[in-house]
Amino acid sequence: MASAADLIELMLSGLVSGLVIGLAALAITLVFGIARFANAATGDVMTIGAYAALMATGATGSLALGGLAGILAGALTGMGSYLLVFRKLEGRTSVAALLASIGVGFVLRACLGVAFGHGQQVFQLPLVRPFRLYDIRIQPNDLKIAAAALITLALVFVVLHLTPVGRRMRAVADDPMLARVSGIAPKSVMLALWAIAGATSGIAGILIGIKTVVSPEMGWEMLLPAFAAAILGGIGHPVGAVLAGVLLGVVQELATPLVGFTYKIALAFVVLLVVLLVRPRGLFGRIEGVR
Amino acid sequence: MDAYLTAIAIVTGIYVLLALGLNLQYGLTGLINFGHVGFFCVGAYTTAILTTKGVSMLVSFPLAALLALAAAWPLGMVSIRLREDYFAIVSLGFSEVVRLIATSERWLTNGVQGIPGIPKLFSDLPGGQAQAFAVLALLVVLNLAAIAAMWRIVHSPFGRMLEAIRDNEEAVKALGKSPAGFKIQVLLLGAALAGLAGAVYAHYIGYVSPDQFIPLVTFQVWMAIIMGGVGRISGALVGAILLMLFLEGSRFLRDVLPFVSEVAMASVRLGVVGLALILFTIYRPEGLMGSHKRP
Repeated sequence: MASAADLIELMLSGLVSGLVIGLAALAITLVFGIARFANAATGDVMTIGAYAALMATGATGSLALGGLAGILAGALTGMGSYLLVFRKLEGRTSVAALLASIGVGFVLRACLGVAFGHGQQVFQLPLVRPFRLYDIRIQPNDLKIAAAALITLALVFVVLHLTPVGRRMRAVADDPMLARVSGIAPKSVMLALWAIAGATSGIAGILIGIKTVVSPEMGWEMLLPAFAAAILGGIGHPVGAVLAGVLLGVVQELATPLVGFTYKIALAFVVLLVVLLVRPRGLFGRIEGVR
Repeated sequence: MDAYLTAIAIVTGIYVLLALGLNLQYGLTGLINFGHVGFFCVGAYTTAILTTKGVSMLVSFPLAALLALAAAWPLGMVSIRLREDYFAIVSLGFSEVVRLIATSERWLTNGVQGIPGIPKLFSDLPGGQAQAFAVLALLVVLNLAAIAAMWRIVHSPFGRMLEAIRDNEEAVKALGKSPAGFKIQVLLLGAALAGLAGAVYAHYIGYVSPDQFIPLVTFQVWMAIIMGGVGRISGALVGAILLMLFLEGSRFLRDVLPFVSEVAMASVRLGVVGLALILFTIYRPEGLMGSHKRP
């Protein structure tokens, strides 16, 4: 039987991984809200960010510089995927874009597989002893990961709500035609969107890489939980995506002693299914005619 | 050389069965099934588990199709009414869960090691080559039966209804028909075909393990039907042959480029499948043989 301290430790760990799921879900929900399709390449953009950060950290010895490289790589990959693929599919069904995004993900993963092989790599970070607070072990690294995730979220929301480009993005999300007749150029908005979504995915990838390991498949494995969180939070609803990610992370960690490690992903699937059945607009989403 | 060609033909035949099922679902009905490999996996494991315990293949083959169908039924019941891209994600998740179960339930599936020693088909025939020809003949018969069934479906009121659902679901609803019922039937049919394909595959390869049933398989079949032409029976055939040419061609490429490792080649294959998905979706959504513009 797990003690109260163990439970709290699990919850804290879930909070941290939940924040990271929330970041990925935020990237998915932004693209869904504005470009209007489910981007299955999100996971692999995360992996790109993680590898870029890993390489840059190894080359410079500074995790901060590595992180910047990872963010930049994520943003560039996002913008590249828009310019090369998704821009050509505007006006087509969301299914065409979804299918193409699977292809984009495969191509990204293939490049990483060729460049870095399929082995697992880790960030070479100094080991820090966890400290205790009322009998609860706290990993300083977890605190840093959570802080980085929170700062990222704050920045994204600042951009969305306090800058002109964020206002334009929200206008397009609300009503693309109205935005267009109001003189908002779609291309610059879309580029900003893909840069933000890519950078957010990149950060999520780096944080997962720091918390666990870096491998070409790491992002793909996060895709299902991220989709589940995006839909649970109400698709196109940034705050909802983050909260749902945290909720999902905590539930996954708490359930791990009961269902075992491998069924974590299955749990995300069950959550996804239940949400779609019971409340397809998610916890915070607007009511839509179709689901 | 003969043995090699027969082997390729057998694997192509398995892919044609998979492509026919997906073509019925996506090409004819517009159902976005991203979890095809899940049903393939259920079929393969069903016959693998049963026959290694001594059950006759005459029993295990129908059961493989039936269990794949039974796995599709709850999926269809809960998610067929969802928006098409949500269904795509849910079905993708379904196939991943099937693979997780195959990985985790060691008492049933022997976990990551998988199940070796699955009895070969037609093992009383003398010589490996005769056996391989018999497997090929079986696949040809199965495929012809499936094609005949497809042909009947396409030219029946049922088939016209499916095409109507694909082209305009709202109009079908307005006419007082329920698209969901038809879609579930199509999902089940395609799943049963995939289960059958899985059974042939398991007995031909001789062992099953979870890493044979990754989502890449699903998208190889997608690549086949998109290349061949969505919504056409000939498209499934041509697409599966093209897919096989590509998969085998990449093996020859490795003989030409020996410095490329097998692991790197696997990545290259993944990348080419991805590239084909992107390019065909953008530039030729109707495929090489197709007539119908989708998606």
